[in-house]
Amino acid sequence: MSGFPAGTAAAQGLACCHMCLKVAPEELDRCPRCRARLHLREPNSLQRTLALVATASLLYIPANVLPIMTTEQLGRAMDSTIIGGVVVLIHHGDYPIAAVIFIASVLVPLSKLFALSWLCWSVSRGQPSSHHERSRLYRAAELVGKWSMTDVFVVSILVALINLGGLLVITPGAAALAFGGVVVVTMLAAHAFDPRLIWDQLGESDD
Amino acid sequence: MNAPSGERIACIECDLLVRVGELRGGQRAGCPRCGNLLTAPAADGFTRTLAFALAACFLLVLANSFPFLALKAKGLEQVMTLPRTAMQLYSDGYATLAVLVLGPIVGIPALMLATLMALILPIRRRVPAPWLVPAGRFLFLLSPWSMVEVFVIGVLVSLVKIGAMATVVLGISFWAYVGFAVCFTASLSSLDRLQMWREIEVCAS
Repeated sequence: MSGFPAGTAAAQGLACCHMCLKVAPEELDRCPRCRARLHLREPNSLQRTLALVATASLLYIPANVLPIMTTEQLGRAMDSTIIGGVVVLIHHGDYPIAAVIFIASVLVPLSKLFALSWLCWSVSRGQPSSHHERSRLYRAAELVGKWSMTDVFVVSILVALINLGGLLVITPGAAALAFGGVVVVTMLAAHAFDPRLIWDQLGESDD
Repeated sequence: MNAPSGERIACIECDLLVRVGELRGGQRAGCPRCGNLLTAPAADGFTRTLAFALAACFLLVLANSFPFLALKAKGLEQVMTLPRTAMQLYSDGYATLAVLVLGPIVGIPALMLATLMALILPIRRRVPAPWLVPAGRFLFLLSPWSMVEVFVIGVLVSLVKIGAMATVVLGISFWAYVGFAVCFTASLSSLDRLQMWREIEVCAS
């Protein structure tokens, strides 16, 4: 009747509560255990995910173009962007730290945005690619998201710690806020995506 | 303690209905289709969560009361504490940034610890409390936004960055925060979401 694959809770009209994991009939509207709203699937999951991915992509531009912090040493001000910071670290020979910042601030957010867009696209098109692979991709995207905050924390520590009058002052740049926004919005995007949609197209031929 | 045997649960990631029999402490149930962990209740899970949460509370107070890092350069010395970091950002006009930073590393974990206590103390004694259901929802609503382990990495990265300009001294609070991050993570990883909600249901009814 429902178009959900056999064996799933949704095929029997049962909704799994996203908050407390109770399985209850969807008609109840609210979970009998925790009073959270019951849905067979997250409503408008793909649209919300894509909207948030688009927002994060737009925020990602100022986050990389504008300076993330300004160093003022003996009256000389120097702006540095995220990528600029990585380049400086490489010049100093701090390869492990450069790698941490590069992975956390460039690789993770970008791959997360691509992964979520691809997941939305593949689900909406009914792509027959591996369900296990896509499921793993989603889990990875959700897991790594918050590590992107590393650079925002670093800037805040530098700002708070380094304020030696006219000698050396560090102030945060506009990119710090934009980048924090990227992290928060991509986390919301991963949260808005309902991984059960990946499995809803499971045909008899697969697995 | 455990669910009536054969209760049906659905995998939150692929929606497969699964009958999970009675699990003994330390056993884990995974989804047979997508491999997602369904539930892994520990026999002494609540006690362990409570113990680590208490330790984490104590360490978080320490981490906020003493110098976190100190900077020495050209005869000048500057000391940074966690609350002062927020004040500094706030008074310099970066209020949003202050919230964005102090929220995930101090504010949200502190709220989560308080909520955990408010849940586990009545649950362990099987005392019904009117706040159990809202507190449970509050706890799991907050949990994705705590970033204590990310902050520890952030501190280590900043040490290297500052190291090029000045000498940095690690304060007592830094070590307290590392301990707090370990205890906090251990406390939450001993907590099984399904087991928690089943206990809340038992106590609330």
